[in-house]
Amino acid sequence: MNDAPVIVHADDLYAGYLPGVDILNGCSMEVKEGELIGIIGPNGAGKSTFLKSLFGLVPIRSGTVMLGDEDITNVRADELVKRGIGFVPQTNNVFPSLTVLENLEMGAYQRPKSFRSQFERIGELFPKLVERKDQRAGSLSGGERQMVAMARALMMDPKVLLLDEPSAGLSPDRQDETFVRTREINRTGVTVIMVEQNARRCLQICDRGYVLDQGTTAYTASGQELLKDPKVIELYLGTLGA
Amino acid sequence: MTNRIDRRVLLRALIVLVVAAAAVTLLGALGSPAAASSTDAVAHATVAAGDATAGIAQADTAVHADAVTTEGDSGTNRYVQQLVNGIVFGLLLALASVGLSLIYGTTGLSNFAHGEQVSLGALLTFFFTTQQPVSVPFIPVEFTIGWPLIPSALAAIALAAGSGWLQDRFLWSPLRRRRVSIVQQMIVSIGLSLALLNFIQWWFGAERQRLTTSIDTRIDFGLFQVGQTTLWSVLISLLCLGGVAFFLLKTRTGRATRAVSDNPSLASASGIRVEKVVRLVWIMATGLAAVGGILLALYDNAAAFDVGARLLLLMFAAVTLGGLGQAFGALVGSLVIGIAVEMSTLWLGTDLKYAVALGILILVLLVRPQGILGRAERVG
Repeated sequence: MNDAPVIVHADDLYAGYLPGVDILNGCSMEVKEGELIGIIGPNGAGKSTFLKSLFGLVPIRSGTVMLGDEDITNVRADELVKRGIGFVPQTNNVFPSLTVLENLEMGAYQRPKSFRSQFERIGELFPKLVERKDQRAGSLSGGERQMVAMARALMMDPKVLLLDEPSAGLSPDRQDETFVRTREINRTGVTVIMVEQNARRCLQICDRGYVLDQGTTAYTASGQELLKDPKVIELYLGTLGA
Repeated sequence: MTNRIDRRVLLRALIVLVVAAAAVTLLGALGSPAAASSTDAVAHATVAAGDATAGIAQADTAVHADAVTTEGDSGTNRYVQQLVNGIVFGLLLALASVGLSLIYGTTGLSNFAHGEQVSLGALLTFFFTTQQPVSVPFIPVEFTIGWPLIPSALAAIALAAGSGWLQDRFLWSPLRRRRVSIVQQMIVSIGLSLALLNFIQWWFGAERQRLTTSIDTRIDFGLFQVGQTTLWSVLISLLCLGGVAFFLLKTRTGRATRAVSDNPSLASASGIRVEKVVRLVWIMATGLAAVGGILLALYDNAAAFDVGARLLLLMFAAVTLGGLGQAFGALVGSLVIGIAVEMSTLWLGTDLKYAVALGILILVLLVRPQGILGRAERVG
């Protein structure tokens, strides 16, 4: 895995929502093709902001983001979708007044011709969604919405999938399901970068983790190493499973 | 639990409404000023109909006065007649306000300048169709165009739609890009509304302008009568509204428009070019407002520079009543408002008819805060 080429490279990012207020103060990350990366850190560390800045949703003031050898710093989200990045926001991640089918159609908006074949492929990963394809997404439960959101992001067959706290607000059962599914998606060859509150569960499934603190990437190591790291245990994992 | 409370509130509201209606009817029977003002208004309007500067409310009444005076010599029933008038007015109002709803849905903006788009449609048509010499602002040359009504209307609609493109390209889109808050944008729209209102008055004058000199022949349907032009207007508005529904439900761009209404940042994250969709919405909204304005001007016999400004509150009421941002909500809300406005003139003074519409808005919102078609979203 370590010989795989670098697919996403973020270098020394400074970014924030409001002019003059930086939330990221020098974040860097290197992701290799096919990796499953977990980003953990305390509340307010800038995890979500980091992910959003990669996806062009938060303006980057300095630093660069590369996708392969293309510079994608501050490229518009819809353009990034075309270039093979998918993004699943933490909240409001479905179109509530559209049906499940229409939600997925929006996912394949830029490739309408491939919609049918993609829908069949995604249907195998999420059979429940095929059953509910004519139901309005707004009437689905949190777990089902999360499925719609992931399926929507996969419709364009992305090379890289960004997940913003996919387990947030779900029951423990559903959380497990989400992590298993994320792993499955990753095994199909999609590089996954996920931000998680549930640090332990996240580190268990990911190849490598990044620890963010106060807007900077504090350190990185393999998921297993971070799980055993005394500092990480103390700060983010508590003592439960130590 | 909530349902039971809703029903209790609804019941109370209905009782209030019925008691109020009964009181007014009773007062009317006793010859109180409320009823007198109603008959006065009708008489007044008939006199004023020839007066070119008569206000819209008066001209409205003139139309209804027609309906009222024809009663008796034909078999028209005034309740049915007012219901039909209400449906007609509702459909035209829907046409004018569906764009307001689309813009609100996709951008979150309550566009106070939407009324002026309605006026613009009517008066640009007048500009092309009138036999009088006309001129363009800042160019001191007078000329006569005098086209027939239909090409004039089409040209007006095209220009109005172009004004939508222009506004979004040079005003709203830059404001959104600079992340100007929605309240600030709304204030800008109020300013734009006043500027456009004065501009239109300066260009076309304050008089009520007639789009056509021909007199509408009324067709007798037994219980009610409808003008021939009005029938055409109804047909056109049904076609336009059907077209909007088809666009939103059956086309890919239409579904993307609904997606942007639901969640613009997610739409963008799905690969939809939100700005492109919003630009299209502005063009459609202003074009439809112009169609609404033209048809309303034909329905009311004439239009003045402030026709849209007078309608704005009703349009907002219709859109809010139907469910903010719901395109079909605008249709339902407009029909309710249209019927309420016209039917209320049977019992209440004509001067009160817009107040009735807004009263209904308040009542509905007390019972169903999300509007008639608005959906309460499940959380979590």
